[in-house]
Amino acid sequence: MIAPLFDAPSGLLAIPVGVAFGATLERVGLGSARTIADQLNARDFTVLKVMFSAIVTAMLGIFWASRLGWLDLARVAMPTTDIVPQLIGAVLFGAGFALASLCPGTACVSAATGTRDGLVTIGGLFAGTLLTSLLWTELGTLAERAPAENATLATDLGISPGLVIAIITLVALIVIPLSDRIAAHRRSERPSAARVPLRLSPLAAVALALGTLAAASGKVPTGAAATQRTVADADAAADHVDALVLAQWIRDRKPQLRIIDVRAGLAADDYRIPGAVDIPLQRIPQLDAHAGETIVLYADGSGQAAQAWTLLHARGVNAVVLRDGMAAWEDNILAPRVPDPSDTAAVRRFDQTRELSAWFGGRPSHGAAATVPNQGTRRRKTC
Amino acid sequence: MTAPAEARGYANPVVAGVCLGLLLFASVLIAGRGLSASGAFATSAAAAVNAVAPKAAVARPYIASWIPTEKGGLFGDWVVLELLGVAAGAWLSARLAGRLHKGVERIAGESSRSRLLQALAGGSLMGAGARLAHGCTSGLALTGGALLATGAWLFIPVAFATAFFVAWIRGRLAMAAS
Repeated sequence: MIAPLFDAPSGLLAIPVGVAFGATLERVGLGSARTIADQLNARDFTVLKVMFSAIVTAMLGIFWASRLGWLDLARVAMPTTDIVPQLIGAVLFGAGFALASLCPGTACVSAATGTRDGLVTIGGLFAGTLLTSLLWTELGTLAERAPAENATLATDLGISPGLVIAIITLVALIVIPLSDRIAAHRRSERPSAARVPLRLSPLAAVALALGTLAAASGKVPTGAAATQRTVADADAAADHVDALVLAQWIRDRKPQLRIIDVRAGLAADDYRIPGAVDIPLQRIPQLDAHAGETIVLYADGSGQAAQAWTLLHARGVNAVVLRDGMAAWEDNILAPRVPDPSDTAAVRRFDQTRELSAWFGGRPSHGAAATVPNQGTRRRKTC
Repeated sequence: MTAPAEARGYANPVVAGVCLGLLLFASVLIAGRGLSASGAFATSAAAAVNAVAPKAAVARPYIASWIPTEKGGLFGDWVVLELLGVAAGAWLSARLAGRLHKGVERIAGESSRSRLLQALAGGSLMGAGARLAHGCTSGLALTGGALLATGAWLFIPVAFATAFFVAWIRGRLAMAAS
């Protein structure tokens, strides 16, 4: 497993990525609000073509790199899925996209080429982001319901990633040429101009081959599983895990980590350990486990989680229990107690964990019992 | 109505899209992350609150979670630096192509004032929407699309369908006004 080359790359690497991104958007006309307005009037399909071909190219690259064992997908930041807030967000975003005829990235491109409307869009973006961020807790379940970090079409639809990839590739190969005809029709050009000859370009042929081969390439998308199994077994040898170790696993995106909250009757806005899924104790017997997975069970204390552990163990499924459950997570990660300065060993330990705690949005507490923030999930800064 | 982008001297959209896809792929291989844009606004909004009222910033868990922790603060943050790179790359590309243009880019004969008001309203809506959706056209649609994230494939059709609908309404209103 070679890639990703860096787990915490220097921000300096982001600059060339950004320069290439901005230059490409400008060259293809997406820094011009007119191009986007014409797309939304179905007169020019530049946006659709750029997006579809970019997604298909990157998707095929990522799939095959991972399939051939060059890329460890578990170490790639995955955009969050949280269906209801995401649908509301998509509607707001779409309406704003039409009004501004620019999106956040292209607004920066437009502004950089000198437009005042691009600059004003950036101002609006900042204001809207600021207001939403300030009101996040008040928005409650409108803003955050059940964020999942690893939801993919393959897992949610229960089909192989290769098949999803083949379908998306085929749809792109049909929609892109079709869009030329729609655009020509909408622009009321002569029918002859609208008749774009149907021929398979070399690019399309490559995409077709890689896409259809993906569907035939078997179910497991990563060669990672085998090599990581030994690591997972070594880590899971003990039947308990400490909160700090679990926090490191989450932060370091430990491959095939599955965190299960076994508490029953949780409300949507109750705090959960980031990345955890709700599987109440009574549903544990139906859990389907996969080889190589590290399953971490937790509840408030250790009792319920230990019951779940026993149920799984009886079926030969290995799991570990978070030692002292949520209480340990709160005391060590969310609100680590600031130690007495005279206790040097405790101070040293505190200094080591402070950064880890901050990563999860935790705040050191001075003495009094900790309160759990219900929105304390640390976001991965993907977008 | 303007000519298609390609006829106005811009690059072939499919070729540009493939280049963009290769860039996204390269970014995943090198840094384990795709392209992003709206996160830079969340980070700078949090950094601004933290600079003005640090106590209020840490009291709001969402803001606190976005305060840049990297060395160099805001300018050590990956997405902020990436977006600054976007601006630099766009400026360079436009300059080389002779496309730098000061002023307001008006759409379909609307007034500058109307264009700026819509840009402000549109920007604000996108800012709010991108937070709720956990991303925008770059970080969620492109990157999440390529990684087969369920959220991305919900976001793309819903955001675009809404955008088409709002653009249609705007066209009708403009027609009724003229």
